[in-house]
This record gives sequence, structure tokens and C-alpha cells, in this order.
Amino acid sequence: MGHSIKRKEDVRFIQGKGHYVDDIQLPGMLHMDIVRSPYAYAKIKSINTEEALKIPGVIAVVTGRDLEKYNLHWMPTLMSDTQMVLPTDTVMYQAQEVAAVIATDRYAARDGKEAVMVEYEPMKPVIDPYKALDPEAPVLRTDKEGKKDNHIWHWEVGDRDATEKLFSEAEVVVREQMHIPRIHVASIETCGCVADYDKVNNHLTMYMTTQAPHAIRTVIALVAGHVGLTEEKVRVVSPDIGGGFGGKVPVYPGYVIAIAVSFLVGKPVKWVEDRSENLQADSFARDYHITAEMAGTKDGKILGTRFKILADHGYTDAAANPSKFPTGMFSIGTGSYDYQTAFMEADAVYTNKPPGGVAYRCSFRVTEAVHAIERITDRFAFEIGKDPAELRMQNFIKKEDFPWKSPTGWEYDSGDYHAGLKKAMEAVGYEELRKEQAGKRKRGELMGIGISTFTEIVGAGPSKDFDILGIKMFDSAEIRVHPTGKAIARFGTKSQGQGHETTYAQIIAEELGIPAEHIQVEEGDTDTAPYGLGTYASRSTPTAGAAAAVAARKLRDKARKIAAYLLEVSEDDLEWEPGKFFVKGAPEKAKTIQEIVFAAYTNHPQGMEAGFEATHYYDPPNLTFPSGAYICVVDIDKDTGEIKVRRFVAIDDCGNIINPMIVQGQVHGGLTQGIAPAMYEELIYDEDGNILNGTFMDYLVPTAVESPNWETGHTVTPSPHHPIGAKGVGESPTVGAPPAIANAIVDALSPYGITHLDIPITPYKVWKALREKGVN
Amino acid sequence: MEEQLYIPGAASINLIKMKTTIEKNFQVDEPIDKVWEYLSDPARIVTCVPGASLTDTIDEDNYKGEVSLKFGPVKAKYNGQITFQERDKENYRMQLLGKGLDSKGKGSADMLMNGILVEKDGQTDVTCTMEVTITGMLAQFGSRLINDVSGSVFDQFVDNFRAKLAGQEVDNTLSAGSVIKGMFGKK
Repeated sequence: MGHSIKRKEDVRFIQGKGHYVDDIQLPGMLHMDIVRSPYAYAKIKSINTEEALKIPGVIAVVTGRDLEKYNLHWMPTLMSDTQMVLPTDTVMYQAQEVAAVIATDRYAARDGKEAVMVEYEPMKPVIDPYKALDPEAPVLRTDKEGKKDNHIWHWEVGDRDATEKLFSEAEVVVREQMHIPRIHVASIETCGCVADYDKVNNHLTMYMTTQAPHAIRTVIALVAGHVGLTEEKVRVVSPDIGGGFGGKVPVYPGYVIAIAVSFLVGKPVKWVEDRSENLQADSFARDYHITAEMAGTKDGKILGTRFKILADHGYTDAAANPSKFPTGMFSIGTGSYDYQTAFMEADAVYTNKPPGGVAYRCSFRVTEAVHAIERITDRFAFEIGKDPAELRMQNFIKKEDFPWKSPTGWEYDSGDYHAGLKKAMEAVGYEELRKEQAGKRKRGELMGIGISTFTEIVGAGPSKDFDILGIKMFDSAEIRVHPTGKAIARFGTKSQGQGHETTYAQIIAEELGIPAEHIQVEEGDTDTAPYGLGTYASRSTPTAGAAAAVAARKLRDKARKIAAYLLEVSEDDLEWEPGKFFVKGAPEKAKTIQEIVFAAYTNHPQGMEAGFEATHYYDPPNLTFPSGAYICVVDIDKDTGEIKVRRFVAIDDCGNIINPMIVQGQVHGGLTQGIAPAMYEELIYDEDGNILNGTFMDYLVPTAVESPNWETGHTVTPSPHHPIGAKGVGESPTVGAPPAIANAIVDALSPYGITHLDIPITPYKVWKALREKGVN
Repeated sequence: MEEQLYIPGAASINLIKMKTTIEKNFQVDEPIDKVWEYLSDPARIVTCVPGASLTDTIDEDNYKGEVSLKFGPVKAKYNGQITFQERDKENYRMQLLGKGLDSKGKGSADMLMNGILVEKDGQTDVTCTMEVTITGMLAQFGSRLINDVSGSVFDQFVDNFRAKLAGQEVDNTLSAGSVIKGMFGKK
């Protein structure tokens, strides 16, 4: 623990020896390509496959009518809504799957796709989520009996009346309307699968890009059990994954069609999306319209917050949240501040856009919540003329007040927010920067300093509240130590680049004293790994990492018994130091873990079970609450609106650190994915539902060129309830960075009375805002 | 809808309109009745639209035709119907609606054209407005180009129309080259 050992998985990755879904080649494998809708909302009048079937190599074209015969044309979403696999009558968003072409090679499949003639009758789509609620708006989900509007659900938390009273009486109330833009995870590897159904043995092997292979196996069995694919007949394998970020949690229609076709023709079927399909049709993230309000006193005491959300879910609710939390963990949005009055409510609507709402490097809507609270906190500071750092210091929950109960029902486990912000301010040279800014303002130059001091909520989650489709959100570890003292460990999670093969080995090494290089970590094969809910929302270390520690401790207990037997002493007379047990007061009388394990196979005490293995399913008692203090400094060109991020200091507190190098790598990647929505990324639709940036030419993913020099550091406040005191870090930077950048830009523009700009804040938005304020 | 449903303060979001409206005014040195005759004759007017041709006559007001367009790698061929929604000879006003579906089911394009003629010192003053709406693949790939390309197509239409009135042969084939060149000012 705490050592920056090199990532074990990189040996294969840096040599190009990773093994991804598209690397899989099976004998007789067929290829699938998907015909997609050019319209956001249209009736399908006819699908003519004649020309497509004439193309050499094309063997079939599958439509919704074909799937309907097997009752496979609709499927459930993770949020218990329904989603089309292939449409029979109506398409609901641009790029929706319309038909699948099956061919003997990928080129023929693509040619076949071009030759399928679909006749549509376009209809006027609902694109604006506000207009979706108009009484005269067309009802989109006519498939749902009795559905009379486009409203999906209402959610609320907190005390509505107390909050209303507070806001009507408060000295200071600030309010901003903000949009957290619809964005895409845009992982390097797109989604895909190879469905391999073996007719003789009635067995399906599904190789697929999934972050949650076990849950997928159960879902396949639940959906296809009626045609004989019961759970023991299904094996899901998730090979190496080139980035997931939440986008590889949902079940996409392509997977289901591939399974159906393989089942029908008895041959393996490969489907891999191209870049535009991935960007245009796969689950989006965010897209919350938030009215954020804060109430407080003139001298800077925050008294309460109120958030109202309109959530644009596209044509179905295919978000990936725990069942009981339609807005995910948005209720963490009261932030790092000590007040007890809050109310939040949300309404979700259907529109003619792709479905989604995935937890993009985010523990279920935490990014949206953190942006709202951190932006409105700065707005409040601006209103009363107080330095935003000073305001935060004044309102932080104090270190000694943990565990702290939030007004929305969470119990924050631990934190030291004052220490984090102090460290960030020292690192960036806050006082000096404010002096520099004052000088520049006199000269009319634009410089801004933005702060974000966020509290995260990760590690879903305790079984009393957390499940997905009824399956509790525990996670698991199984450790098997071989006679020679080397181990294999398997997990219910699935790395997509997080470095599990290294960090899990380090946890076990710490607990058992077996060197990390002799612990092989495996995930992603449901035939071998223990059941778990997968990797997303920074849950792997808090759940499976904890399971690894507890399973290792079970083995240590067994080791103690064997050592006592071998050394002929009482268990109570033994002491442990990593790697060996020794007799108290006689350190030369010792048995190493390797000697003990060997004995477990060759000379174990009579009556004791032979072998040396343990499994643990860890059900966390609480979530973990990582935090961070980020400070961003920007310079803005008044004439062009160009924004330069001059400095970015990120101080994270993720509890005890397993591998500092991996944490730093996670923070660098996460910050870059944080600058993305803050300055560049947004999926834009026109009023007809055309996506206007459906390729990487127009959808701007930041590259090394756009990334500033990230200055990282940490404070350590261990989680009191996690076995090794760790909290999780993968998503903190993605969650914390956008408001720091937005706050810095708005701070730079504040002398002109600009109090808010929606992200992504582009040079044009800045330029336009300045012109509107009369700056020429 | 549940009673507690909250509709936030903002009435709507700003959506980009993939609709382009162009207005052009030009004079031709021909009598108004001759200009009207040409403008209201589908066989003549359609052949002035770059890339367009008539394929069938349904009735006096309705025709079938096709338009081919090429934007870099994206080729589109729209089959559609052309309808004279208004042909008011008294006031020299006409309105033409073209609705096209991509022949491969990749999208659609609609065009609404209004033409008004006014006599001025023996010359004819022509005011044309054109509203173009594009959906599908072309809207995605060409979103930033639609305005400029539509403008360029319209300029070509005006040139062709003048030429036709002057009794010249009109070549209305449209190439990506001509559109792109027009956009970058290498006329």
C-alpha cells in the first residue's frame, strides 16, 4: 500500500498485446452492421431489403418485425422503462437502429446497410424538454397504454416547507438557471460484441464491451430464459476494455440483435460500432436543466439551497442509476457546507433524442449536483462581495463534526475540507493571484480565479438502499493461494483502464504479505469470477477492494491457526507482520506466509479444511465521501473571447492511497474529462432533432494540446468504515473540475456584471456576453 | 401529469434552426409578363435550379422531380414533389413548395420559394425568398455549410434564370466544385 509500483497490465498494453472485443475472431463468424434512422421522429412505411440481399456476402436483414415474432423487439432498461431493440412502426431519434444487416464480412455488411431502402413519413419531433411538457405537445410514448403526456417521473428530497420559509425570509437569495450539457463519454474503444451461440450444447458465450458482465448475464437469462437460455447456459466475457466511463453499463440494441441472430443461425455474430454510431446513438450523459438557489446572510453564512431540475432523458429512461434513485446521487448537492435546510426536486421528460443518462465518470448525477452547488456558492459570494475562498472557509463542515448528517439524508463519513482548501490556496499562491488580478482589472485585463470544493459520494452501495434491477450492489473477491505461495484473485468488477490488476494485488499483498507481482488478478469472465455488479461510479475500491481486504483477512486467520500448529504454540502467542507470523518475544521462531500456505496443502492440522482460499462478498455499511479543493486560473482575451487556463491545482482527498501513481493518472485523466464539458463538449441538436456534431470533427474532445499542466496533490482523511480506509478517486476530478473552470471564467467577467455562463464556455459565448454588456 | 410537476422559469431552450432563409432582389430588363411566364412555368423554372430536373407532371399545380446535391463526400439525391401553392397572375405572386426525400432514405429537404414581380420603368423587379430545411445525414455533415451552400445555389439559380430569359442555354448541373469555389470567393 502506498507504493507507486508500475501497472502490471501495461506490459501488454504498451506492446499492443491487449485483447479487445474486435480482436476476437471465431471460425465461421458473421458480421453485423446497423441501418439507422435519419429522422428524429418518423413512421416507418416500408423497409425494402431486396437490393441489400443481392449483395454478395449479405445473408440476412433483420427488422423489428422479425424480432417481434420472438417477442424480442422491445427490452427493459435499467430504470424499468422499455426500449426498442428494433422498431416495428416508429423511430424515436436520429441514428436509432432500424434494421440489421448480417453478412460474411464487415465490408459486405456495410454495403448491405447502404442498400436497405427505408421509406419514412417524418413527423415533427419534440426536442425542447420544456416544450415536451406543453399540453399540446405530441405524446411520444404511444406504446404505453394510457400515457397522456411526456412526463416520466417526479422526484424530491428535503423539506419543501422549511426551505420555502427560509427563502422568503432570508437576507440574501441568489438564483441562476443553468444547463449541464448533454455530453458523451467518447471512449477510445466503441461498443461491440461477439455473440457465440452453440446450438449443440445450447450455450451462449457473449464477448462484449461491458463494465458489468455478471449483471448482463442475469439480464440475458431473464430476457431469454423463455427460449432456453437459462443462466447456467450463458457465459459473459468482458475482455480488455478501451475506456468505459459509464457508457458501457447499458445494454444496447446491437448486443441483443447479435444474440438473437446467433441464436437463430447458430453462428458467431460480431458487431462493432463505428465512431459516429457510438457518438450519436449510445447513451449520453448529463443534460440537466437546473434552477439553483441559495439563501444566506449578508455576512456570508449559507443557510439553505433549493434546486429544481428538468431532466431530458430522450425517448426512454435508460439511465444507469441504482433503482431507488432516479436522479442518482444528486442529493449530495448540498455540498461541503454546514447548513440544514434544503429542498431538491426533479421532473424527467421524454424527447426525440437518444436515451441515456449514464454515470459518465460520475457516481450517478454527482457532476450535475456539484456544478450546481459550486456555481451557486460563487454566485452568493459575488452577491455579498465576499472572497469565494473566505466564504467557503466560513461555511465548511468542520473536521470534528464528522460523521455529519446532511439535510438530504446522507451521513458523510469523514473529511477535512479546511485543510484541503488551505493546501490548494498555498499551492496556487492565492493571495498573490488576487493582488495580480486587482492590478489587471485596473488595466482592463481579464483574469479569473475559480474554486471548487466538492464533496463526492461513491462506493454504491449498502444493500439496504442500493440495487440495480433488484440485485444488491455488493461486490466480491475470491483469493486462491497455490501451494507455492502464489495467488490468483478474481473479482466481480471489471477494469476498463483503472489498473485493477495492480491495485487489487497491492491490497492483497498488504494484507497477506505475498508480493504483488505474484498475485494474478482476473475479472470479466462470469464462468470464473465471483458475482458482482461491476465497475463504474468509483465503486471498485470501496466495494471489491474492501472485499479483497476482508477475504485476505479471512486467509490470515487461517494462516494464524496453521502457524500455531506448525510452531506448536497457542494462536494468542503469535504476532503478525506482513509476510509472517512469529512467536511473541521470540521473533526467530516464525513461519512465513509461503511456508504456511505450503502446509495448508501438505501438512494441515487434522480436522481443518485443506487448501488456502477465501471468498468475500462485501456489503458496504455506508458510502464513502471523497472530497477535493480545486483552483483554476484563467486569462481571457477581451477582443476574441479566447480562454487560457494558466494554472490548475487539484488537491484530492480520497482517503488512504493504494498506488499514488495510479491515483495521479486517474486525476490527470479525470481533469481532462472535466475541462471537456467546461469548455468544449456538448451534443447539439437542432429543432428537427438533427445532431449537429455527430463526428469528432465537430464534437470537440480535448487533446493534449488543450490540456493545461495539471498540478496535483492530496490530503488524506481515511474512511472510518472502509477496511483499508480508502474512498475511491476515479471520478473526483471529472466532477470537481467543471465548476472550478466555470467559476474562474465568470470571475474574470464579473466586473462587467456577468454572473453566470452555461458550460461549455466557448470563446464565442464569452465574446458575446461581453458585447452584450457593452464591451467593444 | 402529477400536480406537483414543476415547470421551471425558462420557457424554452435555444435550439438552432437548421432552416436557411435567403432573400434576393434583382432587376431584369424584360417586360413583366414575359418574366412571369418564365417564373410560373415549371418546365422553365425547375431547370434553373442547380441539380434539379422534372420527371413527371401530376396536374397543373403538382409535379414530380429530383434534385442532386453533393457536399464533399456526401452525395444526396432527393426525389420529391413540387407544388405551386400560389400562382396569382393578377398580382404577379407565386409560391412554390418542394418536398424531397433522399432516394436512399437518408434524409429530406424542403424548400419554400416565394416570388414577387413588380414593374419598374419597363424593367421587372424580382424579389425571391427561399427557405430551405434539411434533415438527416446532410444536416449532420453539412451543418456549417448549409447557409453558404444554399446561398451559392440560389446565386446560381438567379444567374440561370437571367440567362434563360435572355434566351441562352442553361447548364444547371451542380458540382461540389462549383459550390465550394463559390463559397471561397474564387468565382
